Amino acid sequence: MKKNNLIWLIGKIAFWILVIFIFFYMLFPFYWAVNSSLKSEAQLQMTPATFLPVNSEGRFAPTLQNYVAVFNDGTFVRALWNSTIVAGLTTLLALGVGSFAAYAMGKLRFKGKKLTLYLILSLTMFPQITVLSGLYAVINTLNLGARISLILSYMIFTLPFTTWVLTAFFKELPTEIMQSAWVDGATPFQTFYVILLPLTAPALVTAGLLAFIAAWNEYIFALTFTTIAPEARTIPVAISLFTGSVSRQVPFGEIMAGAVIVTIPVVVLVFIFQRRIVQGLTAGAVKG
Amino acid sequence: MARKDKLSLAQKEQRTAYKLLIPALLILALVAFYPLFQVFYTSFTDKVFASGTDEAPKLIGFENYKSLLGLTVMELPKVVDETTGEASIDEDTGKPVYERAIRVLPRSPVRYREWFQFSLFGRRYVVGARDPEFMKAIWNTLVFAVISVFLETVLGLGVALVVNSNFRGKGIMRATMLVPWAVITVVSARIWEWMLQPTRAGLFNTVLSKLGWGDGDLSFLSMPALQMPTLIAVDVWKTTPFMALLILAGLQLIPRELYEAGRVDGAGRLKQFLSITLPLLKPTLAVALIFRTLDALRVFDVFQVLMGNRMYSMASYNYYQLIGNRNMGLASAIGVIIFFLIGIFAIIYMRLMGVDKE
Repeated sequence: MKKNNLIWLIGKIAFWILVIFIFFYMLFPFYWAVNSSLKSEAQLQMTPATFLPVNSEGRFAPTLQNYVAVFNDGTFVRALWNSTIVAGLTTLLALGVGSFAAYAMGKLRFKGKKLTLYLILSLTMFPQITVLSGLYAVINTLNLGARISLILSYMIFTLPFTTWVLTAFFKELPTEIMQSAWVDGATPFQTFYVILLPLTAPALVTAGLLAFIAAWNEYIFALTFTTIAPEARTIPVAISLFTGSVSRQVPFGEIMAGAVIVTIPVVVLVFIFQRRIVQGLTAGAVKG
Repeated sequence: MARKDKLSLAQKEQRTAYKLLIPALLILALVAFYPLFQVFYTSFTDKVFASGTDEAPKLIGFENYKSLLGLTVMELPKVVDETTGEASIDEDTGKPVYERAIRVLPRSPVRYREWFQFSLFGRRYVVGARDPEFMKAIWNTLVFAVISVFLETVLGLGVALVVNSNFRGKGIMRATMLVPWAVITVVSARIWEWMLQPTRAGLFNTVLSKLGWGDGDLSFLSMPALQMPTLIAVDVWKTTPFMALLILAGLQLIPRELYEAGRVDGAGRLKQFLSITLPLLKPTLAVALIFRTLDALRVFDVFQVLMGNRMYSMASYNYYQLIGNRNMGLASAIGVIIFFLIGIFAIIYMRLMGVDKE
């Protein structure tokens, strides 16, 4: 009996060590970014690297100068603005257009439905990189602004996804609601706006959040299409090309400050909508 | 009368459906189908970007594909010592000396450059490629995809099993798992770049030199032996939580009663895992695996940020040819090759999901 207790205790301790290890593994790089962002140029070059922003006497001495520098640097603030606009409008467009298509595919009967479903699903797996050069040509021909080009090109990965998630949601709504509205003389459009759309609010939040994060993250299109339009660069591009205003070396302090600034809002969003995001991520993969 | 009503209602429904689909299909036609067609077409031309000349691009058939994928295998003859007339032996290694690859590989009409060498039945061969950079890019991408997806699945399964058990702080753990996923990939790459600095200002060199590994000047990003493991480590950090979340969702679908039944039958933890958890998790695992493989095959961000022009993935080579070399025809051919490679995986994915079964 005593031996069993001991095994149980060892198991328990091992389990908690594992939990704590996983916890640190996932958060440590972010902690390191925060730590480094609070160091001055001299502190950053101190060897060995310190786990807290300390000065040469070993006293705790954080500085906000990297944050000040980043906010005074026009490039970063503009990139933040560009990313917000691009990701925001991408999300709205993908949700609007996607919910139309999803209503049709989830609730209406029409010829060619299966084909459309296949088309949308295959597009959710479409390798965007394939069309990079083709899209570049299209954008150059149409002579669109860089930001508009980004919003349009982000439809490749956001629109099939929102459509797919919303279609699954519409399918599960009871058809009787819709039919009774039709009996009352509502047109299919009215049924959609007045009755079904409010019911889909939770799915809209899920799909919207994931679309926003995907657009906020996107790098290759943003890098390619802003090659000659630096004023339209989004956060990932700005951070990958960041050279800073004064220092000769790569200004890692400022980069880390930028990293912290752009990560915090997304992490807050993710914490608030945790459950919904997990549902959305697993919707396609597990339910399928 | 009633029947006519019904018919017109069905027609109305159909018409509404088409109207609702038009905006989505128009947008997708503009940003996906037309560019895809354009890429296929351009891949057969010698189009360059903003060439300054008014010359229209010419159709050149499969030339782009040939120049990307052209391979040749040549035997390397042993170097014969002129004085003795026998094969010369390297004095340091005691192995025979072979002719240099560059002298053996054909140079005209097209030049083949060395990709790698191998020995078979005592003979030495060299594999020459018309574009060894692209061959390496394909190889790098495949190695990266296979190893990182494998590690992510194993680690993800481990994390999911831990988080799936009952303990205080489970909610916090689950929220924490979303952090690496939510960090912008480029941002995480730069954070890692900073941690991997080749001096003791970097975290890894500080810690490793304290443990007695290296002198605090390991350059993870430029030493060939460390490059791929580093890239994989960065990707594994970012994506394992995502895998764990997918697997966790699968675990939660397994009814608890099965485990109770297993316990009653006297099955231990390991037995339960092998005969209940794993088989029932198989569909989830298969889908998550392929889902991630598709993603890993188009990897761009980590390669571009951490490696630049030192090492390419298929996607970053495509970007380099398009923007760096302004070679649109060639870049398009790369796009098509990626398309087919990923397409094969996607078809498997569709089969596994069984979409046609509704």
